[in-house]
Amino acid sequence: MKKHILILIFLLFLCVSFAYAEEKFDFSGYVKSEVSLRTNGDANTTLDKFKNFVDLAGQYKIKGDELVFFAHTRYWYDAAYGLNDKLDPVQHYMGHIQRTDWLRDCYLDYTNGPWFLRLGKQQVSWGQADGVSILDRVNPSDLTEYWLPDIADIRIPLWMANINYSPKLNSNLQVLIIPDFEQSTAAPPGSPFAFRSYNLFTAFKNRWEAMGNVLNANIYYPAKKFENSKIGMQWQDRIGDWDYTLNYLYGYDYLARTYLDSTAGGGTIQNYGRRFKIDQMVGGSLNHSFTEESPLKGVTLRSDLAVYINEPTYYGNATTGSSAGVNRWNNIFWLVGMDRYFFTKWLTSFQYAQYIMEHKKTGYKNSTTGIPYVTLNTYTNGPQDKLENIFSLKISSHFMNDRLLPELLWSFTDDNQGRISPKLSYQVNDNIWLTLGYHYFYGSRLDSNGEFRDENQLYTTMKYAF
Amino acid sequence: MKKIILLMAAMILVTGSVFAAELEYFQIYKPKDGMTADEIMQIEYFVKYTKFAHDVYLEGKALFVDKSGSVLEKETLRERITLGRISDDIAYKDLVMFTSPQVKGLATLTWTYLNPKRQQDTWLWIPSLKKIRKISASNADDTFMGSDFTVEDILTRRFEDETYTLIGTQNFPGYTCEYDKKTYFKDAPCFVIECKPKRSPWYYSKRILWVDKNTGGGIYDEMYDPLGRKFKYIFKDFEIYKVNGKDYPAQVIIEGKDLRNSHRTTIVNTVIKFEIGLSEDLFAERALIQSRW
Repeated sequence: MKKHILILIFLLFLCVSFAYAEEKFDFSGYVKSEVSLRTNGDANTTLDKFKNFVDLAGQYKIKGDELVFFAHTRYWYDAAYGLNDKLDPVQHYMGHIQRTDWLRDCYLDYTNGPWFLRLGKQQVSWGQADGVSILDRVNPSDLTEYWLPDIADIRIPLWMANINYSPKLNSNLQVLIIPDFEQSTAAPPGSPFAFRSYNLFTAFKNRWEAMGNVLNANIYYPAKKFENSKIGMQWQDRIGDWDYTLNYLYGYDYLARTYLDSTAGGGTIQNYGRRFKIDQMVGGSLNHSFTEESPLKGVTLRSDLAVYINEPTYYGNATTGSSAGVNRWNNIFWLVGMDRYFFTKWLTSFQYAQYIMEHKKTGYKNSTTGIPYVTLNTYTNGPQDKLENIFSLKISSHFMNDRLLPELLWSFTDDNQGRISPKLSYQVNDNIWLTLGYHYFYGSRLDSNGEFRDENQLYTTMKYAF
Repeated sequence: MKKIILLMAAMILVTGSVFAAELEYFQIYKPKDGMTADEIMQIEYFVKYTKFAHDVYLEGKALFVDKSGSVLEKETLRERITLGRISDDIAYKDLVMFTSPQVKGLATLTWTYLNPKRQQDTWLWIPSLKKIRKISASNADDTFMGSDFTVEDILTRRFEDETYTLIGTQNFPGYTCEYDKKTYFKDAPCFVIECKPKRSPWYYSKRILWVDKNTGGGIYDEMYDPLGRKFKYIFKDFEIYKVNGKDYPAQVIIEGKDLRNSHRTTIVNTVIKFEIGLSEDLFAERALIQSRW
């Protein structure tokens, strides 16, 4: 057996060598180590992350640029979950890569004239917003580390058919058929970035069961049938110097909502079901650089708009953080962003977004106390404003012939909560980058960033690319 | 007699204005004795931006060498299609893809317009986001991709941005390239032109440019700061490529040194191909979406 494997590896090596010699094969990869220290909260400085990655990607040109196979794999483990006793309960989930997550991309590209097909596991990005997913909802999200990683690492790739046709210059019609389904993931309670809503539900479950009661929570995935495929369409074109897209997405939402299905035993047995609901997104994006002589010369304008039709939204008691049910509303999310260089080399990027909830008067209230229910923030079970104003400001520059890259990101909302993340990256040589940064969270625990106010992090990254 | 003089004057004016206008795309021009500084510089810009070719394909690398000798290397693949199209004001479109490890996959698409007052449009494919971002044009005096060149040295400086004075014609003393230690253009006949920026104050007060008579390329560029001190030089090795029976001047090596910190950048184009029939479809956003890295 071993002999056969060795022969197979040798043959594979030979094939790759020949392909490489013929410039048909190309690869790249990196090893990376990320270390984070929690600097505040109820404990002294603790190790939150010691995550190590091996990443390898390769392409093989089967028929020139017409037919290309591409695969991208990544393995990681987080040693902090073995070293830090406090993180032990979630070691299995957070310490190791799960299931087939190691396969990031695996697809075949076919290009012929106006046609471009990408078939296989992949991620697709829509929209112009940075750090806020307005149109960027084709793939589910991995929020086990909140929104801190690069967005390409947050998107969970899916198997899909990505069909593109360009009827005229600078235009493109994209059709996505996504039979694959993965749910968006979040950190389990006990992890540094576990959402408050998740913690509250788990605490409730523990309390309930400690009283001798029973709580069953089942998750119901959409049936694996082709008709359950998610469908997406994007039309991209230009009007004058303005680039625009029109987007449409239909299918199962990647985030499960929790419903109380039934009770039994005089209320001592509660059966909860976590279900995925079908919703739709209709929207578009716009961008334009002001290149002509005017006060706006040098400014790039970006904008996204999305209407989520039938978006499932929790309502309940925000004081106790308990959900009473789910409403299906039509909500709007839009953003405008502006980028411009100042003082030669300082790129300033400002974004303003509004999340507008349809916020019908539900009329629902607690039958016992009579207290009216309010809409809940999905991540915290805190109160969700009807109108949320969201801002972000990013300033970046470059020094020492681009070896030293400072960056400052400040994202915040009108509820006086947000995150400040300064970062400094240094390129040691052709292969090695070092990064030092800090994440500072502030605000109420009922808000998205404020809930992590005790999770401020000092972090470093060392990356060796080849 | 008066009429003949007027006619001659009119002819000179017409000839002059034809030259002051854009040179005709896809032609080969060489500077000749008797030309004015403006005429020579129009040809120099024409050659610099390869307006003589419908398209060009370049593979190469850029070396960034600091004072201590530490070297960073970036490998690039670059394609350009020249259009000179009045209907939508497009002069040419560039696609640059980075192939070296740390920046593999990074790609930029740039459209340059005929209107000299108009900035470029640039789209960037960012591998860490796996998305396209339209980006603001860098300031002309910002460094170009971490090199010792400014953005305008490489991309955006236009004929209309400076005034020109012909200092004279001289044989170039030769330049010994720090990258390969070879001496280039020794005793090559050149026009020496003083170029002064119209913009004031600006980061340089003048350039002294040596324009090779054989290729029309600006082979040596000395730059002076507002106090009149030389602070940078840029050398360019132009070589003639025979394409369809025509002599195409190609930039093979570009080497620049900042004399204030002794940092050097050398760009070497290892593969140069002209007229390979690139389609304009390649220079659209969709080309960036197709990026895999």
